[in-house]
Amino acid sequence: MRIIDKEKNTLFRRVLRKPLGRISFIFIAILFISAIFADFLAPMDPNELDTVNIFAKPSLHHLFGADDLGRDVLSRVMYGGRISLIIAFFASLIAMSVGVLWGFLAAQIGGWIDDVMMRIVDALLAIPIILLALILVAALGTNVAVLAIIIGTILAPATARLARSAVISELQLDYSHAATVVGASRLRILFSEVLPNTAPVLMARAVICASDTIIIEASLSFVGLGINPPNASWGSLTRTGYEQLFNGYWLVLAPAMIILIAIWSFNTLSDQILEALDPRSGA
Amino acid sequence: MLFSVSVLIFVVLRLLPGDPVSIAIGAGHRGVGAEELDQYRTESGLNRPYSVQYWLWLTKIFTGDFGVSYFSQEKVLSMIGGHLMPTVELTFTALIAAVIFAFTLAIIGATWPRSFADRIVTAIASLGMAIPTFITAIILLLTFGIWFPILPTRGYMPFSEDPIENMRLIAMPTMTLAFAAMAPILRMLRSSLGDAATSPWTRTAEGKGLLWPKIVRKHIFPNALIPTLTVVGITFGRMLGGVVLIEFIFAWPGIGTLMVDAIFKRDYMILQATILFAALATIIVNFLVDIAYGIVDPRLSFKNK
Repeated sequence: MRIIDKEKNTLFRRVLRKPLGRISFIFIAILFISAIFADFLAPMDPNELDTVNIFAKPSLHHLFGADDLGRDVLSRVMYGGRISLIIAFFASLIAMSVGVLWGFLAAQIGGWIDDVMMRIVDALLAIPIILLALILVAALGTNVAVLAIIIGTILAPATARLARSAVISELQLDYSHAATVVGASRLRILFSEVLPNTAPVLMARAVICASDTIIIEASLSFVGLGINPPNASWGSLTRTGYEQLFNGYWLVLAPAMIILIAIWSFNTLSDQILEALDPRSGA
Repeated sequence: MLFSVSVLIFVVLRLLPGDPVSIAIGAGHRGVGAEELDQYRTESGLNRPYSVQYWLWLTKIFTGDFGVSYFSQEKVLSMIGGHLMPTVELTFTALIAAVIFAFTLAIIGATWPRSFADRIVTAIASLGMAIPTFITAIILLLTFGIWFPILPTRGYMPFSEDPIENMRLIAMPTMTLAFAAMAPILRMLRSSLGDAATSPWTRTAEGKGLLWPKIVRKHIFPNALIPTLTVVGITFGRMLGGVVLIEFIFAWPGIGTLMVDAIFKRDYMILQATILFAALATIIVNFLVDIAYGIVDPRLSFKNK
């Protein structure tokens, strides 16, 4: 076990040693911290109305300007991050647990059950993600928990496919044969030998899931089928800003840029993890 | 595949809470009794068991009957027909634009590898992969609609009525969709062009004295096209998803707008049909890609199997 822990540590350090890895990690940390500690860090109450400052332009007083009710856009974006990031966290958690279990089972059982499980994955992947999300959200409602479950479920099939192929290639390696010879049970090989070795690849996938979740949640909220006002996520803030497009560009630009930064950081971090894992793949 | 998609759609749609009957009737009249609701349910077949509803729907599709909208009583097929042109127009202009830009940029990048231009090409590709369509749309709207107001922001005009206004209106949605569609094509084409240019057969071609333009045309390009074709097929799926949001943002009266509208109204018949159409379109495009493989690479054609 100690050897594995040490390896994880070096992987993490290797990611942070590269400039892109460090920048994206710092961005993500800032986003999380400003969302979690929004109560202390936000310059203003996000729901405080201020009739004097309606559509105030970005200034030292309102860094990102103020909206149609005089509310501070920066504070609203920070609080909006809470909902967006909570959904991103739980949706990735669901996508990873369902997907990894699905892929591991398919790889381990094999035969026609494996075929059926993978055909289901194929059918789910044939429908464009956004369309599937739109329909499921319309079917099941739009609170934070439901959104996380829906998005997690949508991202699970692709995760399952990745997990399955990772397990199959690991099972063909010498060390798993050796474990079988020694007499380790299948479950033991799967969870204490294969799982730690596929962990970095799966971690990179989890980070991508977080980025995909932010895109899907924001797209849904933008159409009006996600988080709805007065609750604010980055997506619903973008929606509100889009409706007020002709009253001030900062209303839509601030949340849109934050979404962009979040997605870029998550994608880059995932790339860096994969690159640190296999130095040859990095160009 | 199409069959499993059809079952999936049907099951999911029946999970929708909120009943199309009460929405359809409630929108027209006030104070409807339970009897009238029941009567409407019987007429439209919504009181039947789900398995019967599915069977009726599936068998009718084969006769070309996609049913009637619960809401407007219009035939679903004619509604889709009415919304088809704007979407087809948008998708095809965007796909053509995406392919042209992707090829131009990839060739620039591959001709001068690791140059400043190549770095920019790579940056454009990774930006295009990461940026969600609605954010591209917002940036374009701000740029060409607000800061330099040279393009109209919303609406549609048929080409036959006013070609110039049609082109002005289609410009921003096309750019948005093309940017999203271009990125994966560009990335794949750039890397496979690079691989082909450094391969042994290219060195051989150079060694036997062929001129560079001819090597590019006869040797590098055909070999780089094969993996790129696969990506074009996958890209089409991405575009179908993106088109829904783009039509919504630019008030483009296509299939996407029809769908979002149908979701809000719980109009199962329209939803089922549109998603089936989307799946069908994806399958057709992938089939065309398979045929194109054979043309680009004779080794893969069916005749030789």
